[in-house]
Amino acid sequence: MSEAVEETMLLTGNHAVAWAARLARPKVAPGYPITPQTPILEKLTEFAAEGAFDAEIITPESEHSVMAACIAASLAGVRVFTATASQGMLLMHELLHYAAGARAPIVMANVNRTVASPWAFWPDQTDSLAQRDTGWIQFYSESAQESLDTVIQAFRIAERVLVPVMVSHDAFYVSHALEPVRVPAQALVDAFLPPFDPPHRIDPENVESWGNVVSQEMFNRHRRDLGEAMARVPAVALEADREWNRLTGRGWGIVERYRCEDARTVIVTMGSMCGTARDAVDAMREAGQPVGLLKVRLYRPLPVEALRAALAGVPEVLVLDRNYSPGHGGVLHQELRAALYGMEGAPRIRGLLAGVGGVNVSPRRIAEYVRDAADIDAGADSVWMK
Amino acid sequence: MNAAALPPTTWTTGTTEVFKTGTWRASLPRHISAPSPCHAACPVDGDIAQWIGRARERDFRGAWEILTRNNPFPAVAGRVCHHPCESACNRMSLDEPLAICKLERHIGDVALAEGWSYPAPERELAERIAVVGGGPAGLSAAYHLRRRGYAVTLFEARRQLGGLMRDGIPAYRLPRAVLDGEIGRILELGVEVCCEEPIDSPGAFERLREEFDAIHLSIGARLPKRLPQLDYGAPWVVDGAHWLAQANAGAAPALGRRLVVIGGGSAAIDVARSARRAGHEVTLLALEPEAQMPAQRDEVEEALEEGVRLVDGAMLERAAVVDGGVALECVRVKFILGAERGRFSIEPIEGSAFRLLADAIVPSIGQDPDLSCLPPEFEKQGALLRVDRRQATGVAGVYAAGDVASMARFVTEAIGMGKRAALQIDASLRAIDGRPGLAGARLQGLGTPVEAVVPFEAIAGFYHPAAARAGAPRLAVEQRLGGDAEVQSGFDLEQALAEAQRCFSCGTCIRCDNCYQYCPDLAIRRLDGGYAVNGDYCKGCGICVRECPTGSMEMVEELR
Amino acid sequence: MEKLDLVEEQMFCSGHAACPGCIEALSVRHVLAALGPDTVAVVPPSCMAIIAGPQPFSSLRIPVYQPTLEASAASASGLRRALDAQGKHDTQVVVFAGDGGTYDIGFQCLSSAAERNEDFIYVCLDNEGYMNTGAQKSSSTPRYARTGSTPAGKTTRKKNLTEIMAAHGVPYAATATAGYLPDLVRKVQKAKSLRGTRLLTLLIPCLDGWGLPDDGGLRAARFAVESGVFPLYEVSDGRRYTLNHATRVRPVSDYLGLQRRYRHLDAAQIEALQAEVDEGWERLLRRVAASEDELTAAC
Repeated sequence: MSEAVEETMLLTGNHAVAWAARLARPKVAPGYPITPQTPILEKLTEFAAEGAFDAEIITPESEHSVMAACIAASLAGVRVFTATASQGMLLMHELLHYAAGARAPIVMANVNRTVASPWAFWPDQTDSLAQRDTGWIQFYSESAQESLDTVIQAFRIAERVLVPVMVSHDAFYVSHALEPVRVPAQALVDAFLPPFDPPHRIDPENVESWGNVVSQEMFNRHRRDLGEAMARVPAVALEADREWNRLTGRGWGIVERYRCEDARTVIVTMGSMCGTARDAVDAMREAGQPVGLLKVRLYRPLPVEALRAALAGVPEVLVLDRNYSPGHGGVLHQELRAALYGMEGAPRIRGLLAGVGGVNVSPRRIAEYVRDAADIDAGADSVWMK
Repeated sequence: MNAAALPPTTWTTGTTEVFKTGTWRASLPRHISAPSPCHAACPVDGDIAQWIGRARERDFRGAWEILTRNNPFPAVAGRVCHHPCESACNRMSLDEPLAICKLERHIGDVALAEGWSYPAPERELAERIAVVGGGPAGLSAAYHLRRRGYAVTLFEARRQLGGLMRDGIPAYRLPRAVLDGEIGRILELGVEVCCEEPIDSPGAFERLREEFDAIHLSIGARLPKRLPQLDYGAPWVVDGAHWLAQANAGAAPALGRRLVVIGGGSAAIDVARSARRAGHEVTLLALEPEAQMPAQRDEVEEALEEGVRLVDGAMLERAAVVDGGVALECVRVKFILGAERGRFSIEPIEGSAFRLLADAIVPSIGQDPDLSCLPPEFEKQGALLRVDRRQATGVAGVYAAGDVASMARFVTEAIGMGKRAALQIDASLRAIDGRPGLAGARLQGLGTPVEAVVPFEAIAGFYHPAAARAGAPRLAVEQRLGGDAEVQSGFDLEQALAEAQRCFSCGTCIRCDNCYQYCPDLAIRRLDGGYAVNGDYCKGCGICVRECPTGSMEMVEELR
Repeated sequence: MEKLDLVEEQMFCSGHAACPGCIEALSVRHVLAALGPDTVAVVPPSCMAIIAGPQPFSSLRIPVYQPTLEASAASASGLRRALDAQGKHDTQVVVFAGDGGTYDIGFQCLSSAAERNEDFIYVCLDNEGYMNTGAQKSSSTPRYARTGSTPAGKTTRKKNLTEIMAAHGVPYAATATAGYLPDLVRKVQKAKSLRGTRLLTLLIPCLDGWGLPDDGGLRAARFAVESGVFPLYEVSDGRRYTLNHATRVRPVSDYLGLQRRYRHLDAAQIEALQAEVDEGWERLLRRVAASEDELTAAC
């Protein structure tokens, strides 16, 4: 793409998110600081002080209040953005359910950080994965560029299906690491994101109320409606991604197959681990090993069809989870097993708890995991790795 | 499943008005028009709450029109009525009763000052009614009949109309101009008056029956009762009523300095006070103890202020001339009220004899009617002419009212009886005629008419902060005894308005909107100048009834 | 007596599910009428949320947003900012929250909103307990009151929300009750004329929770004011105190005697409550006097 529609800046993942939020022109942006999300919030207030971010920034006393403000503002018919991490995400949990039930197309950036207790600040995806039942669409980003692009795409997707979206990237690896990022021009983003004009809103000129208690039948039907909306997401996400690709030359897909052709083993993972795994795959391929990577970018709704298509005919799958669900192991591992269950010629799937709590996982380590995978009983629950 | 028929799961589309919460209740409120206790006690059924309501709105004309619907003598009554309304007034349970009597006087005085007159009758009827006796009962009957369009001829034995209002009540209680003004206003309606034309024989009476379609007898009770222990032929005994009639005409009988007036009623007090103005030293000897004297409290107080010496709870045993005057041998008695008005018994108290010295004795112990002029067919009840509750005598077409037929010896009682008789005459004549008579029913306000009198508990006290009853000063005693100046003054405008504000308006809706505003379910709406309860939504909580400041609502149990 | 002079437009509907005689419904009726149609409401879980009607029916003629119980002031903030972002600066945002959602679980975000001086009117419908869930205690429940979770009587005193909000320095904090309806309406109109965080605490006698007859709510409210249990007053900018009803004409026992929730009290407890009220009243009078002094000194 020509320089006229994009500018290259050296940005951290968090600042890239801040740029995305600025370009998307939300009208209300509540926020509460928490390491390692704070640079997003601070950057937005800087933009606002310069007059470059025309949103009502609210700074309530907690993340729970942040999300409460988001939902109400969204239902009043305006575009809303916020960001959080870890404890803040957990504190919002009640309201994440509320937002999805409200069909409020909020976009929230999340910095994956360990959840207490004990206290720590390290990359770990348990915070957002623990929200998998809340009804939010979830993306996991590997890089600053991807975070910027995904946050912008998120508004388009959310507003089309009326379901909130969270975009997560790992603490420090992505949030604080600098990389060159192509930042699109405002006009490009304006063309990509139509104005938000929901069919219902809180508006004294057209009186309708939201939140009145419902019957059993209504609740049941409401959940089905949400389910139908979720079911449309993969197609809507792909459409948005195609359009984005047309405008910027960058497309990310909802899953990405990297060097999976004739792979014997495919590593499956999310977030920054994908970057490490790419390096490991390149090295192994260099050494003649038929290994590939399947990056899961869209996690909710779980893109079952895409996953099955991507792993069809692959003999071995190794899932790397930088998260842990006590009593059942790694989340991606569990879900992938369930997604591929009953598939003709389903791969043998093994899951490794790699990087839980933020422990470093190097490309060499990944190669070792692949090498030693056969020692793990396929079909067993996730296994802890050093 | 037809998705179009199912309601949306979020975002409302309608209101809760689809839920008819009226099904919840067990009782329903209703707006009522109920008699106020003042009205129930009033001898003329005075629609008091309604006219006070008009006065409160500064509509004195409207107040006068309601007042005179029942009573053509507001300025008179406002001075001399015994105001049973005030004794019944619900406000008494909060602070002090309304000064209804003085308010009536104010309205009456304004009407006289403004020269307001009654409207001409809507139609002239053919029937002619004879009213015999031009006192309060007769004038009241004449008034009510004339307003309904009857031709009325009023026969009066004396030279002037007014009866005891003129002869019995002194000018310092009832100025002549006021009395003449209110009588004159009645006559302006077109009453034929025949003064100095007594109907004093059965023959004269029969001629009336031939000439007129109905007769109203209000010849009063002008035969003085006599104390058997007194010689009424003696020059030092003058009957009180006679003394008073002379005094009111400006010619008090010449008697010695010291007078003993015997009696405890208003007439005796009037005699005593007039005698003081005529320069006498006056002792009032009353059978009853002071607290039980039939005279009004005000009158007793004023008499005492004017130097009347009261000897109560005592009776005269005998009187005789002695050196230096007349000696009255008296004894203290125990006074026991009887079951009926006018009945009592006394027990002399042993060893309590005492003597009074005087120059003359003026007994004023009441009067009886003179029924000798009537044909024998009329039934009597004791000394009175017998009438039923509608003032009908046993003789067809003849009605009676006032002192001739009742022991309720008050001006306003007489006015009330005259009205009842007039209404009954009208009803009976119109029944023959086929047209309905004009009902003299209680003036209806908004709401369903009910009979039960409004109790104090029905009044929402919160809306009536305590406020002292207005008072008007009395003339200083020195100024009183010099002549005939009116002793009690009336209200000024501010006082009248302030006093009218104190009225609870018992049983008469004043459109305060409380019921409308205090309903949590918006189940009362304004309708046709009043209110309507919306049975679709009313849950029967009763707040409206509780908040009604006039007691014009009640809950009615619903049986469904 | 003076006829009520209130606005005509009714912004509340019949057919709602409030108990017969409910003072909350009555209060909201008049607050809504005073605010008018250019208003949106926030109503958390509470009796009011039920009174607001079951989907798809509403009993309010303005838009209502129902948040979670602890989030009223935060939600109102979001709603306010969204309206401002759309240029609707004059649309009033009003919260109708119970004492549970205000004094307790909702307190944190209210304090935060007040610190930011967010522009909304917060009406606390204070029936002194979690009435909608069966009358359990809240920190607004007075001492000795029997509730579903304090069957022997609450041992601690009621929190003073107005003073707490005054300490936040909000532009306007006031108490009111439907028992003194013209005063309540005046305060709503006053709040409507100001900007920033405005708090009205309405005393709502709860018939079922307090043990009152269906038509007994207003009398209980009046006795609360007349005994000094619930003084009617206003605080502007956290400093200027105005006492609206300056006399106490009845002892606390009159007020307590109306309610089943106090039926178990003995003489010593009643005396203790009278002392508590007396002390609170004296303290309030001192604040009023101090603020008058300050005003005079400033002149």
